[in-house]
Amino acid sequence: MVSYAERPEGIVVSQNLVELVRRHHAVQAPTALEVLKQALEHHGEITDADRRSAAQASGLPDAAVYGVSTFYDDLLQPRGRRHVRVCTGTACFAATADAHVEQLEQALGLELGQRSADGEVSLAETVCLGFCHSSPAVRDGDVIDSGPGLIERVLAGATRPATEPEWSSTLTEPVLTRPGDFSGLARALAELTPQQLLDEVKQANVRGRGGAGFPAGAKWQFAAAADGEQKYIVANGDEGDPGSFIDKYLMERNPALVLEGMALAGYAVGASHGFILTRSEYPLSKPALEQAAAAARAQGWLGEELGGSSFSFDVTVLEGAGSYVVGEETALIACIEGRRGTVSARPPFPAQRGLHGLPTVVNNVETLANVPFIAARGAAAYAQLSPGATPGSKLVCFNERFARPGVYEVSFGVSMRELCEQLAGGLVDGRVIKAVQIGGPLGGILPGSRLDTTFDFEPLAAEGCMVGHGGILAFDDRTDMRAVARHLLRFGAHESCGKCFPCRIGLKRAHEQFSGEAPVDRERFEQLLEALELGSLCAHGSGLPAPMRSLLAHFPDELRLA
Amino acid sequence: MTQRFDSEVTTVCGYCGVGCRLEAHVRDGRVASISPALDGPSNKGHTCLKGRFAHQFSRSRDRLTEPLIREGDEFRTATWAEAIDRIRAELTRIKATHGPDAIAGLASSRGTNEECYAMSRLMRAAVGTNNIDNCSRVCHSPTSWALRKSLGLSGATGSFDDIEAAQAAIIIGANPTEGHPVVGARIKQATLRGLALVTIDPRRIELSDYAVLHLSPRPGTNAAVMLGLAHVVWRDGLLDHDFIAARTEGFDEVQELIATYAPEQVHEITGVPAADIERAAHVYGEVDRASILWGLGVTEHLYGSEVVRLICNLALMTGKVGRPGAALLPLRGQNNVQGSSDMGALPDTYTAYRSVADEDVAQAFERAWGEPLSREKGYTIPQMFGAAVDGRLKAMYIFGEDVAQSDPNTAHVIKALESLEFLVCQDIFQTETTRYADVVLPASAFLEKDGTFTNAERRFQLVAPAIDPPGNAKPDLEIIQMVSRALGHEMGYADSAAVMDEIAALTPEYAGVSHARLGRRGLQWPVAADGTDSVILYRDQFELPGGRGRFAALPYKQPGDAADQEFPLVLVTGRRLQHYNAGTMTRRTGNLQLVDREWLEIHPDDAERLWIEDGQRVSVRSRVGRIEVEARVTDRIEPGHVFTAFHFPEVRTNLLIGSSADVNTSCPEYKVVAVDVRPMAEQPAFTPAVPEPALI
Amino acid sequence: MSGANGAGIRVTVDGSPVEVAPGSTVLEAIRAAGGSVPTLCYDERQAPFGACRVCLVAVAGAPGPVPACTTPCREQMQIDTRDDTARRVVRTIVELVLSELPVAPAPHTELARLARELEIGAPRFTGEVHAPRLDDRHPYLVFQHELCISCGRCVRACDEVQGAFALTATGRGFHANVTAGLDAGFRDSTCVSCGACADTCPTDAITETTLLNLAAA
Repeated sequence: MVSYAERPEGIVVSQNLVELVRRHHAVQAPTALEVLKQALEHHGEITDADRRSAAQASGLPDAAVYGVSTFYDDLLQPRGRRHVRVCTGTACFAATADAHVEQLEQALGLELGQRSADGEVSLAETVCLGFCHSSPAVRDGDVIDSGPGLIERVLAGATRPATEPEWSSTLTEPVLTRPGDFSGLARALAELTPQQLLDEVKQANVRGRGGAGFPAGAKWQFAAAADGEQKYIVANGDEGDPGSFIDKYLMERNPALVLEGMALAGYAVGASHGFILTRSEYPLSKPALEQAAAAARAQGWLGEELGGSSFSFDVTVLEGAGSYVVGEETALIACIEGRRGTVSARPPFPAQRGLHGLPTVVNNVETLANVPFIAARGAAAYAQLSPGATPGSKLVCFNERFARPGVYEVSFGVSMRELCEQLAGGLVDGRVIKAVQIGGPLGGILPGSRLDTTFDFEPLAAEGCMVGHGGILAFDDRTDMRAVARHLLRFGAHESCGKCFPCRIGLKRAHEQFSGEAPVDRERFEQLLEALELGSLCAHGSGLPAPMRSLLAHFPDELRLA
Repeated sequence: MTQRFDSEVTTVCGYCGVGCRLEAHVRDGRVASISPALDGPSNKGHTCLKGRFAHQFSRSRDRLTEPLIREGDEFRTATWAEAIDRIRAELTRIKATHGPDAIAGLASSRGTNEECYAMSRLMRAAVGTNNIDNCSRVCHSPTSWALRKSLGLSGATGSFDDIEAAQAAIIIGANPTEGHPVVGARIKQATLRGLALVTIDPRRIELSDYAVLHLSPRPGTNAAVMLGLAHVVWRDGLLDHDFIAARTEGFDEVQELIATYAPEQVHEITGVPAADIERAAHVYGEVDRASILWGLGVTEHLYGSEVVRLICNLALMTGKVGRPGAALLPLRGQNNVQGSSDMGALPDTYTAYRSVADEDVAQAFERAWGEPLSREKGYTIPQMFGAAVDGRLKAMYIFGEDVAQSDPNTAHVIKALESLEFLVCQDIFQTETTRYADVVLPASAFLEKDGTFTNAERRFQLVAPAIDPPGNAKPDLEIIQMVSRALGHEMGYADSAAVMDEIAALTPEYAGVSHARLGRRGLQWPVAADGTDSVILYRDQFELPGGRGRFAALPYKQPGDAADQEFPLVLVTGRRLQHYNAGTMTRRTGNLQLVDREWLEIHPDDAERLWIEDGQRVSVRSRVGRIEVEARVTDRIEPGHVFTAFHFPEVRTNLLIGSSADVNTSCPEYKVVAVDVRPMAEQPAFTPAVPEPALI
Repeated sequence: MSGANGAGIRVTVDGSPVEVAPGSTVLEAIRAAGGSVPTLCYDERQAPFGACRVCLVAVAGAPGPVPACTTPCREQMQIDTRDDTARRVVRTIVELVLSELPVAPAPHTELARLARELEIGAPRFTGEVHAPRLDDRHPYLVFQHELCISCGRCVRACDEVQGAFALTATGRGFHANVTAGLDAGFRDSTCVSCGACADTCPTDAITETTLLNLAAA
């Protein structure tokens, strides 16, 4: 016998903190995270008084604020009057095998995360600054410097802003490297109903560019169908993948295109407000987006009654505080709400219960940047961009090991070899590609011998790899692949949000196995990978086994297995 | 878990009226731990710090373990035989000299239903008087009276489950997160899940932070607030005309009355902004399912019983009663406030509120008990003290109450106790009251006895003993039977289940109640003979002649006390989360470490005007008494009001309370006392009224 | 009310059919069918959390095991609680949990019972363990932070049952833990001493002072 008591649709989830945040947001309260970040900017550390005032202002309870203050990297590392943040991303690792970190530690007499006794200097770790085209990189106060001579400049107190990466398109008709001009939005508002726009996006089969590859149209459809007068668009600008600087390019150098995509998403699903979360590691992103938003408002493309239509839409730009997992959509929402950036089980999906508990579309910024083209030109034109392959185009980026690093807009369906050797010109100094990691730390590693693999979702999946975010990161022939495993596992363990058990403990244990000199018990390691892959709550824990399996498959001897 | 404990027993919490089902885990004859029963109907696997932790008092070193008999100014331990014989001799003497009505008994809202029933039988059958009352007199008698007048039955119309079922709710004169913590937690959760809550209290209670609206009326003006809400509901078309026509009577008069309580007028009386009155009425009136909860902040007033009737008016005029989510839920103070009155431990009624003057009922009890019974109403508690002072009452038998600590006008109560020729106290500790006793009988705490409690949802629930009473202390039912036997009236109950069987046989409303049937989930009265219980009352009709609910056209009247030049502040009294009533139990537990003193809450404006600093000792003087207490400055209270609790004998708050009481039920006006507050000198004379209770 | 009118969802658990209310989880279906699956972060008084991953089961058609507690039932779903892969993964996860504690959990705790059920002896995984940190400043409640497995039950009990919001998860990754208020103990927090945290803790990381003394005796 079953009693069918009245219960809400779907699974009941914990929502009290979200509700407290929602109530305070409704009266323009700042989030706890914003208040804590301001305190840190103001006096270099977070005190209990700061936590209490963050609680007071945001509506989060004291304890929850304490939890927030112990979660984000930016809030945890003490700041001296001079705060030096050294990038420990994978591109910097590939460039120096972490020599730049050791040099700085020695020269400053500080370990990562330490502040000098006199409070003058502090050294912190950051992953990653997005200057992978000219690794290694350091952020010295507000200046990000990178490339040859970096350490000397840091020690001389003579850092200078690094050069931003080159970008170009291989497409005759660029989609993502075309400056945003709101023409797609103009056409949609004039000629398409929200449902027609939504149908067009569904027909265009835009697969998510943030890593998961989930069809954007389906997400939109769920959110459009969800009950609720208030809905939100969230643009995921938390490009945490070390080795990627694609979203950075979009947010900083083509922000209008991202905003246009957000407005179109809002029109399609019936949302009047959007949030975009940028990374604190990219200090230029938020100002660039805010400037573009101000310009768009001045032109009538954000704010009330866009383009003279009855549709209103505006955006809020927020900045994170140092957490890789916040790139996961439920953690991203938690971060925007100013809570701990931990992952929540789905369902409910954000389209049902998202930001502030309301229906929310979460798309990666690159995904959204595809939409203006579709709105302007239609799904058919979009499909033509990559004939015979996944529709649309993709931004990829190459790290400093390549002769021509930078951001490129490419079609799907070309070979990895074409991309690595022709477009990016192979490696510098005549080095040989030992392997490339594609799509971030959760992506598989393709050995140099298999570069003929086609760049697209399915062919890469067959090699245990993925398109992921589109970062293509080469390890040259000098690289110690056991060190790669250790580097990736260290990153994985450090960034685990701590919620699900396999990831929280398993990545720690995996990293420990590769930390010493002892050989790694292969059977035990593979069982650990299995538990991580099948047991983890999100792609962080379930994704890190992919590069490990690549290494086991292609470089077993280097891993020193037992 | 089991292996850690010798035994585990499911019982019911002995603190407030929520009725949490608890699992008591016993090791080596002591309660090692208490956890909530996952299937507890009212607590759903939760409990508060009192229920879970405050059980160490049961093994406190100063528990009474032997009977005590007064010898001059001292008590000496005695055998049970001696003590019972002394009671027999004195009561027999006084009855012979002054008649049975010179003797009175008090049952306890802490006792089980069976004990309260037996206590009333002791007074009615063994002594021969209707002088029996219980402490619900001083808390919820106005609720009981008003619900019976308006709707028919003396109990909540629904259950705590209505909190989750409701879309909106009003809480007036209650602070559930402190007074009824488990229900408070349920309400808080409901508000976070969408319940639109309005709180009405002179203090900004914790739940006000989660409410859509908080109203702070001047103490004693609840009636005007309720009339104002009714006015707006009527004015703005939120009436349920079909319900009024089909199921009620007397609305026309009410309509005439409420027409004169426009929000602006109500603002004049209560200080509540007119717009807030309007908004509150709409929050309640616009939704389909809304409930009203109230506590002693409604009842402990000069016209408390009338305010309860005005609450009923609001529910009747909007048709918000008798459906899931549409309920009237009084928050009962003590674990068995509901049951002690249901069981007829009242001077004017047998079980289920049937009049002692009702010939059929009286005869039924005469047949069952084999004694002639009085048809005359007995004394209420205040009348007992009055009669004692003027010499008409000579003896009292007080079971489980500390009237000298918890009752108002303490000086008068003490005078009454001193005037008695003979006083029996049956309690678990020496209290302020036992100081005046001639015989003290060592009784049992709730973890030591069996029977049933009835919670604020009208739910009978089984109470089971986890441990034995300490020393020679005995279960209360056994003691009452011993005394009755000595007085020549053999009750003959083999156990508490037999008492319940007799109650069921003599009371149609409880016809289907038996210990065997209660099981783990209990039964909500009325319970039909086949065991069908009543989760919701009045689904189809009210329990009044014609089946109709009755409106009451009662205007606002001024409270019995008011601030003036000499006493410029109004004192409101209440409870703290960590303690319970007279503190007899909670002060003997670790709860004392959490909160070890009383304090007076005062608004910053008043504090500044009176040169009072946070943490400073102040003198609080009313028309009848004076206390000293520490001040805490807080904006949770409105200017002009001060608040304190009554858990600590060192601060005998009730010395301040006068004799003013509810016009219909004699419930004291604890909630409105005009006082004068001023700072104390640095080193106050400070003498505790009783020795510090020992911690185990 | 029965589901014969078609209002329920029909699923099978290890081949046995069972009908559950719409919105029910796989875990609820398994329990309704009289089956069982281990849990650690689940407490029926709280919303499902999906952190411990020891309730993994196989569902026909799914690419891998799914957590029973957070997976909604779908019509005709075939649930398999005995799937070898899921059992193996669960075992590894419980071994990992045991490996983070500096001492074995007390025998009466849920974690110890689960380890016994899975017949796990000494964990195969070793490495850093949580550093001992005792907080016994409260009269009734005591923290043994090193026993915390971050299941979140105490935090959710405080949030979803009591509504005191006195507890929080802290840190992240392996160093995640829980604490009260601003990490200054229960008494300097919004704790109302209801004890719901100790009641639900599966490892005695939060327990009652009297019970800790009892265990020590």
